[in-house]
Amino acid sequence: MIVTILDVVIAGLLMGGIYALVAVGLSLQYGVARVLNVAHGEFIMLGAFITWSLYTMAGINPLVSLIICGPTVFIIGFVLYRAVFTRLRTSSASPAAFEGNSMLACFGLLFIIQNVAILIWGADIKGYTFLAFPVNFWGAVFAANRLVTLVFALVIGAVFYLFLARTRLGKGIRAAAQDPGTAGLVGVNINQVLALCFGFGALMAGLGGTLISMSYKIQPTMGLEYTIIALIVIVLGGLGSIPGSFIGGFILGLVGSIVTYIEPGLALVAYYVIFILLLLARPTGILGK
Amino acid sequence: MKHKVLAGSFVLVAVAVFLVGVSATNSLAKDKIRIGQAIALSGPLAGGVAIAGGRIYVMWVEEVNKNGGIYVKEYGKKLPVELIRYDDKSDIGTMTKLLEKLILEDKVDFVFPPWGTAWLYAAAPVANKYGYILIGGPGGALKLKELSLPYFFQVLNFSETQAPALADIFKEVGVKSVAIIYRGDLHGVEYGEAMVPYFEKRGIEVKMKKSYPPGIKDLSPLLKEAKSLGVDAFCAASYPPGGMLLTGQAIELGINFNAFFITVTPFSPNLYRDTFGKDVVEGVMGGGAWNAKTSPGAKEFVDKFVARFGMEPDYWGGLYYWSSLQHFQQAIEQAGTLDQKKIRDIMAKKKFNTALGPFWYDKDRYFVNHPGEIGQWQKGVFEVIDPGKKRTAPPLYPKPAWPKK
Amino acid sequence: MHITTLTSKKFLVAVAIGLIIVILLATVPLYSPGYTVVLLSSILMYIVLTVSWVIFSGPTGYISLAPAAFFGVGVYTSALLGFVLPLPVVIGIGGLVSFCLALLVGALTLRLRGIYFVMFTFGLVELILNFVLWWEVNITGTTGRVVPTVNNTTVYYLMLITFGILLLTAYLIRRSRFGLALQSIGQNEDAAAHTGINVTALKTIAFAISAFFMGAAGAIMATRWTYIDPRIAFNPLLSFMPVLMAIFGGMGQLYGPIIGATIFTYLEEFLITRFPYYYMLIFGIIMVVAILYLPDGLVGLIQRLWKRISERKYAYT
Repeated sequence: MIVTILDVVIAGLLMGGIYALVAVGLSLQYGVARVLNVAHGEFIMLGAFITWSLYTMAGINPLVSLIICGPTVFIIGFVLYRAVFTRLRTSSASPAAFEGNSMLACFGLLFIIQNVAILIWGADIKGYTFLAFPVNFWGAVFAANRLVTLVFALVIGAVFYLFLARTRLGKGIRAAAQDPGTAGLVGVNINQVLALCFGFGALMAGLGGTLISMSYKIQPTMGLEYTIIALIVIVLGGLGSIPGSFIGGFILGLVGSIVTYIEPGLALVAYYVIFILLLLARPTGILGK
Repeated sequence: MKHKVLAGSFVLVAVAVFLVGVSATNSLAKDKIRIGQAIALSGPLAGGVAIAGGRIYVMWVEEVNKNGGIYVKEYGKKLPVELIRYDDKSDIGTMTKLLEKLILEDKVDFVFPPWGTAWLYAAAPVANKYGYILIGGPGGALKLKELSLPYFFQVLNFSETQAPALADIFKEVGVKSVAIIYRGDLHGVEYGEAMVPYFEKRGIEVKMKKSYPPGIKDLSPLLKEAKSLGVDAFCAASYPPGGMLLTGQAIELGINFNAFFITVTPFSPNLYRDTFGKDVVEGVMGGGAWNAKTSPGAKEFVDKFVARFGMEPDYWGGLYYWSSLQHFQQAIEQAGTLDQKKIRDIMAKKKFNTALGPFWYDKDRYFVNHPGEIGQWQKGVFEVIDPGKKRTAPPLYPKPAWPKK
Repeated sequence: MHITTLTSKKFLVAVAIGLIIVILLATVPLYSPGYTVVLLSSILMYIVLTVSWVIFSGPTGYISLAPAAFFGVGVYTSALLGFVLPLPVVIGIGGLVSFCLALLVGALTLRLRGIYFVMFTFGLVELILNFVLWWEVNITGTTGRVVPTVNNTTVYYLMLITFGILLLTAYLIRRSRFGLALQSIGQNEDAAAHTGINVTALKTIAFAISAFFMGAAGAIMATRWTYIDPRIAFNPLLSFMPVLMAIFGGMGQLYGPIIGATIFTYLEEFLITRFPYYYMLIFGIIMVVAILYLPDGLVGLIQRLWKRISERKYAYT
């Protein structure tokens, strides 16, 4: 019985870590830069495929790939923001119009990135095996690669949280999130900060992609699925809040794990029931203002 | 402001010119056979198309053209074949629309099937309505028989032959109890339901039977539950995403069963065997099946496929689709015309020799001479382990444990 | 005096153009059967979805991602009742069921704003999808259903009639006090509430009206698909499409979403058939470029062009 409970809880936390990791970047992009980035999952896909290529062709350890994927995807995100969204922000009539317009632009990006990925890697499902051995916790058994993912997710989340809370740039980002108008007045280059912010969101997605590719098979069309998970998690947890993303992720993970144990057919139904109930109870998410 | 208006109108004009300009017409004298196919080149199904079936049609067209085309008596010459492919985005509405475009607007001579059971289900009545022959490819289900469409031919094997074969194998090797999990869709429900009576009739106890939703990200609770029930065999009716996840999690968690069977996924040498490694998948069973030993034609087909694409074909449908196209080609040549009705009548009655051997359809227009029902990975070969003379190797039981890293 | 004649002249021209378009559309199956009718039906479907989306989301500014839920409800109505009831009745029921569902959802979501409303509506689609899937697999023991088919021309006319009724409804709403009240909700919801507008009731009714047409469109379109399952009926892509088409066309005028949906659908079909391996790339680039250079959609472009032309005309006179 205790083993069963441990089984269910740990499985939920492992899943939750993955969900949180997927969501943190989007939380930043939407919470601060106000871009409802429906192409978020495509950045995850890019991270996963770069990792796959490095591992299968050059034998590079996926954990080492984190150092390569993160910056690569960061640059892509940063450049995209400067090229598309900075301009869109000034040309849109209102913040609401910007949200709509940026969503359309993101759909365009989704199409472009997915198509390019299919041209480069083909549409096939791909995967590799890494750290695929069991780890025993007082009788409950788990996969090593998922545990590593959880640890990295927590570390990445914590580092980023400290970065936002303690550094000058982090404070600038938070100021921009609260009030873009006055942030500009107190000497923050708002366009630069927002672009960095979008880039950091992409970076998190890239790292998430690397870690996900250790446990899941990947294909160029996988992005949207993760975008949807990310959207749900950030709305559950509260926009722009890193701890919120983790809380949201863990809630989803635990609920999924408990329901899968009882009736697997209802696992996804349970996600959305929880999501909708929580939203009705707390209309701005658990840690939202 | 001004340059924005200019740029905007420039974009619009460019698009308009482009739309008008590229609209070519093609209604000249008959110099080729045009075949249309609306199939998923993007979206969630695109991965499946790439590993199972999608390439066979391309290769067949190339093969036919290398030999100068198909001889059609009506035109007194060999006509090369042109394959027109549209992307259905893995969307069924788009697929039916594009299929009608191919038939009504492009006026193609023949159509090839889309990918996926539900897609085939939607496409068959459309093709039938216009009197177009549709040879079912990847996907399909027994349920299609109920529609009894005269122009629809079904090529793959289904649960009605695979479930009894699996039950016979299990009985032969001494499986006492099984756990079944199935994907919540047409494929999963059909196989999940079909397996139970065959197992029970042979005295094999079904200790667990659960469905899971497509898109689920963690199947470990199901594996753990089956393990705790102490079943001999674990059977899953799933599609590639679930099949890969399930295998991966069983390996990671070190959960072993004496028999491990997945309907769709193990048949793919590239995706399944090569991703996990040929020692790891040793003993895994899957739906199918055939291999290079099935017939001399099968060996030739594998070699050609490897030479063309640098990888092996899939060991479930690959040879079936290839042979069905060879059957189709011979039916056209015998009909001596491109008339659908005449070709259809020949296809429904005649037996032709193909890569897998003699190929014919039964009265429901189902292909019945399957080269095998159940396969098992043994030393990197997907062996046919059906009881009887189709067997290319005896079943390996119990399955070796996943190797420890 | 001068102004009134000008507007009435403009109005007459608009009516004449509208009439010609209606006659042309109504007679299409007579002189151009075959694929044109199929393509037009599909374009009309997207127009119906987009225009009905704009009825609610346009003036209020609430972005709803629920269209797939209402469309799917219509699709399932068609599959469940199509064999027992005549099609027009089925379409009506499909619309009504969606209408009721929207009333319920609308009443539940009063407190949600912005992204939280967006995500609630999207969660709703996924919830219904997964619930129907579980229900079909475990309770009824099936996952797919066959839908009775009708011929292409019938589908076309049904879609055209739905479009006509929708257009009239949308036009009347825009001109009515109801429409004005919705506008004021969009501008400032709290202020609107203070002026005595029953914000909740109006929002919910507008939401339900838009859902009615989505459900009807689903019930009609299902007959073209012949076979459906929950993942086909509640395809989340159908939630995003109306939003994209409306933004692409521009929401300021009634013709914006119509033009947006038409061009979007036609362009997509064109690219898919000419460039099956690159169409997403080209389509994506067009979307990004369009939004960069046309932030107010096609309507904005048309209005600016119109203004320039008329300015030039006045400059010469």
